[in-house]
This record gives sequence, C-alpha cells and structure tokens, in this order.
Amino acid sequence: MKRPVNKSLREYARGVAGGLLFSLPLLYTMEVWWAGFIAHPWRLAAYVVATFVLLLGYNEFVGLRRDATFAEVVIDSVEEMGIGIVVAAVVLWLLGRVTLGAGAGEAVGQIVVEAMTVAIGVSVGTAQLGGGGGEDEEDKGVGEGARGGAGGFGAQVIIAFCGAVLFAANVAPTEEIVMIAVEISAWRLAGLAALSLAVGALILYYSEFANAREHIRFDRHHDVLVGTIITYAVALVASALILWFFGRFDGQSAAVCAAQTVVLGVAATLGSSAGRLLLQ
Amino acid sequence: MTKKKRIEKNWLEWAVFGLGAVLVCGVLGFLIYDGATAADGPAEFQIEFGRHERRADGFHVPVRVKNVGGETAEGVHVEVVLEAAGREERGEFVVAFLPRGGAREASVTFHSDPGAGTLRARVLGYEKP
Repeated sequence: MKRPVNKSLREYARGVAGGLLFSLPLLYTMEVWWAGFIAHPWRLAAYVVATFVLLLGYNEFVGLRRDATFAEVVIDSVEEMGIGIVVAAVVLWLLGRVTLGAGAGEAVGQIVVEAMTVAIGVSVGTAQLGGGGGEDEEDKGVGEGARGGAGGFGAQVIIAFCGAVLFAANVAPTEEIVMIAVEISAWRLAGLAALSLAVGALILYYSEFANAREHIRFDRHHDVLVGTIITYAVALVASALILWFFGRFDGQSAAVCAAQTVVLGVAATLGSSAGRLLLQ
Repeated sequence: MTKKKRIEKNWLEWAVFGLGAVLVCGVLGFLIYDGATAADGPAEFQIEFGRHERRADGFHVPVRVKNVGGETAEGVHVEVVLEAAGREERGEFVVAFLPRGGAREASVTFHSDPGAGTLRARVLGYEKP
C-alpha cells in the first residue's frame, strides 16, 4: 500500500528538522569546515561509507519502519544521506562557506563532512520527532511487534554508537579537545574516565530516564557493571574514530591520542547512554 | 512476518530516493576520482596579479594565490615586491587556509605606480595543518 504524498512530505519535513537540530552546532564550527579540505578525499570517502553503514544499522534496528525489508532500509538510508547533502550544501552556501568560485574539491569536502552528521540527524529526526498519533499506526504498530529485534546486543551497540557519534561529533573537531588533552594531568584524566563511567551508570540504571525499564536489563547487580562498561567501551571507540577522522591523531604522541579519546569520551558516553534510551 | 514483499513508494519518495542515489554516488565518485588524481607532495603555489587600480590611498594590486600542490597549507604568508624607479616597495598578506586545488584572492597596496615597475611575489612560509 502506498503512503499518501502529503504523509511522506511530513516525514521529510521531520527529517530536515532533525538534521538541522542535531547538526547545527557543526555547521557553525570552523574546525569542521577546515576538516573538509584538510582531509584526503579517500578519508572523506571512507567517512561517507562508514556513515552509510551506521545509517543502515540505525534504520534496521530503530528507524521509522521496523518491519522494513533490507532493500527498504537501504532506500531509506540513501534518501537520508541525499537530504543530508542537500541541507548541508544549502546551509553552507547561505553561511558563505561554499562558493562557486573556489575549487570544487574544497566545496565538496566541506559539504561531505557536514552532510554526514546532518544525515544521521535526518534519520533520528524522522524516527523520533514524529508525534505518533493515529496516522503512524501502520508504521509504529508493527514496530511494537518487532521491538524484540531492538533488544539484541548488536542492536544496542549500534544504537549506543549512533548516540555517541551524534553527541561527540559536536565537540570532537574543536581545538579545545586537543588543548585539554595536552595539558591534563594523569589523575584528572583518570577522574574524567571515572566521571564518564558514573554518568553512564546513572543515566542507564539510576535516573529513570524515559524507557529505561523497557530497554535495559536490570536483573542482577553485575548487569549494571557490564552494561556501563560496554557502553563506555562503545563511547571510547566512537571517540577515537571521530578524532582520527578529523585528523586529531595526525602527528600526536600515543599518550596525547589516548588522552584526547578519554576527554572526548565524556561527551560520547553521555550520547551513548542517553542514546540507548532516547533513540529507541 | 515475511521478508518478501513488494516495495511500494509514491512518486515523491522515488524522486527523493533518485536524487539521493545520484548525490551519494556522485559525491563518492568525485572523492575517489579526486583522491586518485590529486597531486602528490606538499603545497605548491602559483601567484598571479590582476589589473592594478589607482585609489585615494595608493595603487591596489589584486593578487590571486592558487595551491597546485597536493596538501592544504595554513597561514600562507605572501610577500609582493614592487621595483619602480630604482626603489623597492613591499606589500604582504596572510591567507588563513589554502586548500589543495583552492585559490584565494587578496590585494596589496603601493605608493608608486605598479605600471611603471616590475612586480615579484613569493610565499615566505606556511604551516602544515
């Protein structure tokens, strides 16, 4: 059964709103523009592919239509990426960052870097910003039945990863992360790691965030430990990948790279633990 | 639930999908092509002068710097020297970022008429980002 056009129009509107909502800080950050022309084109291409895989995962386990076939998931992901590219291009052009006169590589690089976060925002926005209501029954209703699929370990890791990327990408490219990492003492760094773990445990298990009971296993006390540590591990991996992508590891010592990962890990943990509850 | 079902989309959804597919493939293709054909090695600069203009505060010479090398350069410091009537006059400017393949436009100003002398320019130094 085909959806009516005005309903899909509303879905796209939600997507655009979500894309802007989640990525506007990045569109206004100059380090992100720079990353677009400093990074080698192949690194940017890898970023596009990685984002696409992430979108596939998110749309498969969380997205709007949980009963979707794999082909539909691919189609949705391509649509979201296309919307992301258009939104990023329009905003960057309005901000005067992308002009027709400068080199094509420069423009494409900047648009690609921004578009990938916009695309994740579009995906999350389409799935999350909907008001529910009668008209979505067909989509969400089946979702309830398929919800078991979102409870699997792999699904939870992907959702946590999406949350971490969405949140950490806002701060990762800034100078502040490397500045903190270079100046910080080992004790404070350990403190930040402890803070991340504590925040993760609080959000997941003790603060009764929306949906916490539904999605988080809380049978025995060691679930808290295991769940928190896995969430933090996902956050650290996400941090390291984003930092690498933005060239923050180039020419740095291993100690500084590790410190940056932990510093950014606080933001990523917030994203991954809250993401597991809110992005469902 | 069966995984075998027909994909049914309205024309708008197909249009958005089509546009998305073209954009994603286009961008990926461009990036891969650009990466494969990009010049290797460090930044390399080409400097061109535009037509100078007389203004109230002196002569303005538009300068266009292009990076034809393989890497982005940061803080590109360009010096322009005008030799006229046996006298040397210096002008300079700094470009914050000059991406690979990118160009930036700037201006230098002189008291003497650049039409009556010769202009030389060079990059004094730059940083690897």
